[in-house]
Amino acid sequence: MIGVAFALARREFVRFMRQPQRVVGTVAQPILFWLFLGSGFNASFRAPGMEGVSYLEYFYPGVMLMMMLFASIFSSITIIEDRDAGFLQSVLVAPVSRMAIVLGKVFGGVAIAMVQTLIFTIAAPFLGLHLGLGSLVFLVMAYILSSIGFAAMGFFFAWSMRSSAGFHAIMMVFLMPLWMLSGALFPIENAPMWLHAVMSVNPVAHALVLMRGPFYMQPAQMLADSRWLLALGVTLLWSGGFLLASMARVEKRERGAAIS
Amino acid sequence: MIHIENLSHVYPASRKTPARTAIDKLNLSVEEGQFCILSGPNGSGKSTLFRILCGMAYPSAGSVRIGGHDLLKDPAKARAQMGVVFQSPAVDKHLSVAENLKLHADLYGLSGRDLYERKDEALGWTDLLDRQNDKVITLSGGLARQVELAKCLLTRPRLLLLDEPTTGLDPASRRNFVDALHKIQRGRRMTVLMTSHIFSEAEDADRVAIMKDGKLLANDSPQALRGQLGREMVVVQSRNAEALEARIRSELGLAARRHGDEIRLEETDNGDSLPILEKLLAAYRADIDSIAIKQPALEDVFIHLTGKTAGEVEQTGEAA
Repeated sequence: MIGVAFALARREFVRFMRQPQRVVGTVAQPILFWLFLGSGFNASFRAPGMEGVSYLEYFYPGVMLMMMLFASIFSSITIIEDRDAGFLQSVLVAPVSRMAIVLGKVFGGVAIAMVQTLIFTIAAPFLGLHLGLGSLVFLVMAYILSSIGFAAMGFFFAWSMRSSAGFHAIMMVFLMPLWMLSGALFPIENAPMWLHAVMSVNPVAHALVLMRGPFYMQPAQMLADSRWLLALGVTLLWSGGFLLASMARVEKRERGAAIS
Repeated sequence: MIHIENLSHVYPASRKTPARTAIDKLNLSVEEGQFCILSGPNGSGKSTLFRILCGMAYPSAGSVRIGGHDLLKDPAKARAQMGVVFQSPAVDKHLSVAENLKLHADLYGLSGRDLYERKDEALGWTDLLDRQNDKVITLSGGLARQVELAKCLLTRPRLLLLDEPTTGLDPASRRNFVDALHKIQRGRRMTVLMTSHIFSEAEDADRVAIMKDGKLLANDSPQALRGQLGREMVVVQSRNAEALEARIRSELGLAARRHGDEIRLEETDNGDSLPILEKLLAAYRADIDSIAIKQPALEDVFIHLTGKTAGEVEQTGEAA
């Protein structure tokens, strides 16, 4: 099962690397976002309790999350393309488990997100963020877990879509707001009451807490921090939940109606 | 190899469309080692049947056994024996020929030495040997189809299902593909079920099954099917075909059937055709645009059984 998932994920990755525009676009776009928004808001950013944190630094983990979001969106669109082109049907008739089909796509998306985020992690020392080996391990774990969550979420929505235009709509009204209201762009504490309420129930916000942790805490501190542990639990829950829900969707087959 | 009993498939009603019966208590068997062509006008249910056979749709009622395994109760065992070539290309165009084969092998759990040997066997008949590292997108339509078939052969299927595999190919590539398919089928004693409405492809088949409205109209060898139409027929083209048909029936007492602008007199014995032709010309010369004596081909059997001409079959778009 894992072998099949790995083979499908490798296909995703190879396809990604063979489209240089896509590689350049997905790496450059978040960096441009980060540099432009980060530098532009730098002077006006005054978050309470975060004195001394520049906006470039604040926004940094948010950009990581954005890369995962985009990687997930692109890999979800390939589901629609695969169905359109016909490739998907050969996978569906092969004697492979439905779990392998989901994991193949999700791992492919995760691999692409990992390349981007790991490259982007090089910027950390220039922001004055120093990662010990232990923190780095925690950071990579947080990357993997969150990007599984995003990729599974994209899969779940894209599976029954017949056109990529329809998926763009879902992305704009659902996936993007999840990211915008995760605390990636501005801290939850400063938001007006209603927004604060929405943001606190956003599961994606927890992925951000999970990723911010390793930049400011040692592994032992994280394991003792109740907020970080809660974030770990919630992220595990929604990532796993969307994985299972996606499998259930793939399992569902076209059935003939009962004859009356 | 394939035993279909009492199979029915009803598409559920939705808000806009009422429920539609695509397959209606169908019985069909394909014996081991046979090359069977499944034909029928659009909307006859052959695409739905194909989707059920390859396990992508679950029928409303009935049973399907493939190589002794119940497809509906034990789909994994039944599916492990078959290879499927779809109408739309199921290869990844951005991967090379070799990469596509490797990916397919991974899906079926083939690796190492096993894969190495089977790869030569699967590619041996193709024109792809020196193009294995080329991306599929750079290949011609005919070669891309060869990749599809080669990929299926990797798993050594006992049953090969093909859904209009020659759609979009030029006549020469089409001929090549079907010839190669016959050669492979005989060499490996595979059972082949292929949907097609190109009748030149059906002439060499062991069996031709014709469906309409979800039912089986005929299932016989091409020779026997042609035999159903007598040996010769007279075909008349006319601008006032409708009026002419009525007059031929009433004034000459001949069994005429009209299909569009064409009138066919099918039940004629050998030797009768020429006198009939002369009689028709003498009586209705002014109404006749052209007239001919024709040996029945499979296409004529199809028209006779389904009441549709091949032109009509090609024009209407196939509902998926």
